[in-house]
Amino acid sequence: MPATPAELRVRIGGEAGFGIKAAGQMLARTFAHEGLEVFDLTEYPSLIRGGHNTYLLRASTEPVYSHVEPVDVLACLNRETLDRHHAEVVDGGAVIFDPDDFDAATVPQRLRSVPVPLTAMAREAGGKIMRNTVALGAVLGVVGFPLDPLGDSLRQQFARKAPEVAESNIAAARAGYDAARAACPDFFVQLSPAPGAPPRLLVDGNEAIGLGALAAGIGFYAAYPMTPASSLLHFMAAHEKSAGVVVKHTEDEIAAMNMVVGAAFGGTRAMCATSGGGFALMVEAFGMAGVSESAVVVGVFTRPGPATGMPTWTEQSDLRYVIHAAQGEFPRVVLAPGDREDAFRLTWQAFNLADQLQTPVVILGDSYLSDNRQTVPFFDLDEVTVERGKLIAEGDVADHPEALGPDGVYLRYKVTEDGVSWRALPGVRGARQLANSYEHDERGFGALGEEAAVRLAQNEKRMRKLELARAIVPPPARFGSPPEEADIGIVLFGTTKGPAREAARMLAREGVRVAILQVVTLWPFPAEEVAAFMDAARRTAVVEGNLTGQLESLVREHALREPDARLHRYDGRPFSPEQIARFVKEVL
Amino acid sequence: MLTAADLERGALKPTWCPGCGNFGMYRALKEAIEELGLAAEELVMVWGIGCHGNGADFYNVQGFHGLHGRALPLATGIALTRPDLTVIVEMGDGDGYGIGGNHFLHSVRRNIDLTAIFHNNQIYGLTTGQASPTSDQFMRTPSTPGGVIEEPVNPVGVAVAQGATFVARGFAGDIPHLKELYKRAIQHKGFSLVDVYQPCVTWNKVNTFSWFRERIYKVEDLPDYDPRDRTKAFHLSMSTFHELTCAPDECRIPIGVFLEDPDSFTYQDGLPQLDRPMFKHAERPRDITQALEPYRV
Repeated sequence: MPATPAELRVRIGGEAGFGIKAAGQMLARTFAHEGLEVFDLTEYPSLIRGGHNTYLLRASTEPVYSHVEPVDVLACLNRETLDRHHAEVVDGGAVIFDPDDFDAATVPQRLRSVPVPLTAMAREAGGKIMRNTVALGAVLGVVGFPLDPLGDSLRQQFARKAPEVAESNIAAARAGYDAARAACPDFFVQLSPAPGAPPRLLVDGNEAIGLGALAAGIGFYAAYPMTPASSLLHFMAAHEKSAGVVVKHTEDEIAAMNMVVGAAFGGTRAMCATSGGGFALMVEAFGMAGVSESAVVVGVFTRPGPATGMPTWTEQSDLRYVIHAAQGEFPRVVLAPGDREDAFRLTWQAFNLADQLQTPVVILGDSYLSDNRQTVPFFDLDEVTVERGKLIAEGDVADHPEALGPDGVYLRYKVTEDGVSWRALPGVRGARQLANSYEHDERGFGALGEEAAVRLAQNEKRMRKLELARAIVPPPARFGSPPEEADIGIVLFGTTKGPAREAARMLAREGVRVAILQVVTLWPFPAEEVAAFMDAARRTAVVEGNLTGQLESLVREHALREPDARLHRYDGRPFSPEQIARFVKEVL
Repeated sequence: MLTAADLERGALKPTWCPGCGNFGMYRALKEAIEELGLAAEELVMVWGIGCHGNGADFYNVQGFHGLHGRALPLATGIALTRPDLTVIVEMGDGDGYGIGGNHFLHSVRRNIDLTAIFHNNQIYGLTTGQASPTSDQFMRTPSTPGGVIEEPVNPVGVAVAQGATFVARGFAGDIPHLKELYKRAIQHKGFSLVDVYQPCVTWNKVNTFSWFRERIYKVEDLPDYDPRDRTKAFHLSMSTFHELTCAPDECRIPIGVFLEDPDSFTYQDGLPQLDRPMFKHAERPRDITQALEPYRV
């Protein structure tokens, strides 16, 4: 079924090293600059050269929340792209290819052949390397989108190089454009610029998280590179000098997490991020952050495991692991952004929650969030606040009697009603606090922390923070129809949000009403809201990207509800809206 | 300014075994801090896990009692964000050279401006006497009943080879000498290692106070020793290996400052943004207007 005329879905494929992603992102920027909404999906194996890479782009006049399954245009930079992906092209869709790569007769009859001599045209324009630019021009030609905006993007892209580099690329794009236009002047998608769109941002999840951390006043970021968190390390390092942040690529994740706890002890807003395997190394110090009541933010951006798993693919299978990580019991907050807008907002909020609760806060993302870009409304910077909680940063601790014991001594771990004690930073006069990884008394003394009464008081004090957390953490978000009017209520977390919203939109056109509850804060689990939502909906389902139903297990355990149906995906690929829509129709 | 008496918690007295080398280190460090005129607010101590780490309860300073092996990265996080503080780290030999060996290696090459004091008793004390990375080869312990097979770690040699800018060895039985080492180490700009032989009177019946007294000599007593000469320092560090059987006249153990590079480039020197404590960046939301520009469409 062809897409609506106001929307284009295109996949570009080729061998790793062909510049597939760079070309695709150029196209995304071009469309976004011209007022369209875009969403992209980069798929690549864990290789630097060789292997099959693809870039999927959606551009629309309407907001787009995810990628989709079918495409209108398939741009093949090699034969493998046709073989692997022709089935997902809609009937009548266009296949752009180089007739030198394969015979036009091998393109299935139901599709439109758009032969463009990519290599010859690239050579003509100045070099074979520009094959991907020829293909970009051809994509624009097929859908009749003006070529000039791409020219502007190319000039910007190559601004630091000699002017002839940009001009050669523009010539390459024009050649591809003209060839495609001639071959396919009446394609069913004809895309136009949408002037007058408000200023927006085109960001991936890690950029959004990095921007959220910068806005929050982060002063220290430490990490060991691990897909898909590495680009956040690069982002933070790029802003190190201009924003005034100390960024450390450490010897391992163990060091990263310990350094972050040390920085937090000094009062600095500090964060580290990794994937599941790196978090495994951080878990020991994660527990130390819990018992020492350190305000730290940890990004865990998951991919399929166990162990090295599938490094460049996505999964939501680390939910239980993150919720339970480290020995013993201590309070934590786990937030799961569903898209890039969430990622920005939840990140600055994570720093506030860490300070207010003096306990670790996890941002649980995944590759689908980290790696892929989306146009989002310009971030609301006025909304950003800094809440540092019970913090004494400077001066004399004697001016804060609430932080002192009966004998006038500062008590770092003073037992309080809400579980949070006053935190005096090193340098505050009179506050000789001892932070401790051992159980400890109110002063921080480990030798006295083993007394039964002290253990009870401290353990219970820490756990009381969860009650405070319930009052201040972000509540679940609702999308689609109100649950009481819906045919089905779907409970989900994280990036399943986007495909589910798209599915709801598709199904609404067919008269099926879907309500969505996105569990934004996974821990403490919002049991009451989930139960109320599930009670209101006629039928219910849990949709999640793992094999064992980890979110469903939390729903059963905490909300005491059983969904009518469930959909799991765990092949390394994100849900597509079509898959969720098919599932809903099956279970209704 | 802190006095040695201020530096005792009072509420808690050390629980180390009678005669433990930690007492000498405790006294030497308190006196060094007093003589340097450090203020309570500008000093932070960090401890790993082990008998030494129980000192966290006894020193009346602001500090962090961290995890086994992880005191150095914890302290690094403090030092890299709080340029206004003097950071002193205490670790044990199993703690710092064993489980924390990777952090030790990288802390040395980073030249973070902090002082790392290692309580080296060549045994695991708190976990009841297993061999440590610095236990002598062939030493018999509950975890090595047939004797240790590996060579011991040579912390001084490793640090010198890895580009450390201050490397010293002390002996807990010579408090005045140790105090002077501490003072020089704390004043040194860059990563300072002070490896201290601190006999464990309960579990290590070989490397005792008297064993050391018969064998140690002072680096400063060597004629023409120049601690700026890394090659000589490395050569001297190689004379530190000793075996259980070696007689006093066969094995001599130098203590003192092996290496001191007064003009080193510290990690903090590479961070011009460290013009103020990093917590001051979070007094209000940071203006990210410029950072958003590349993403605006």
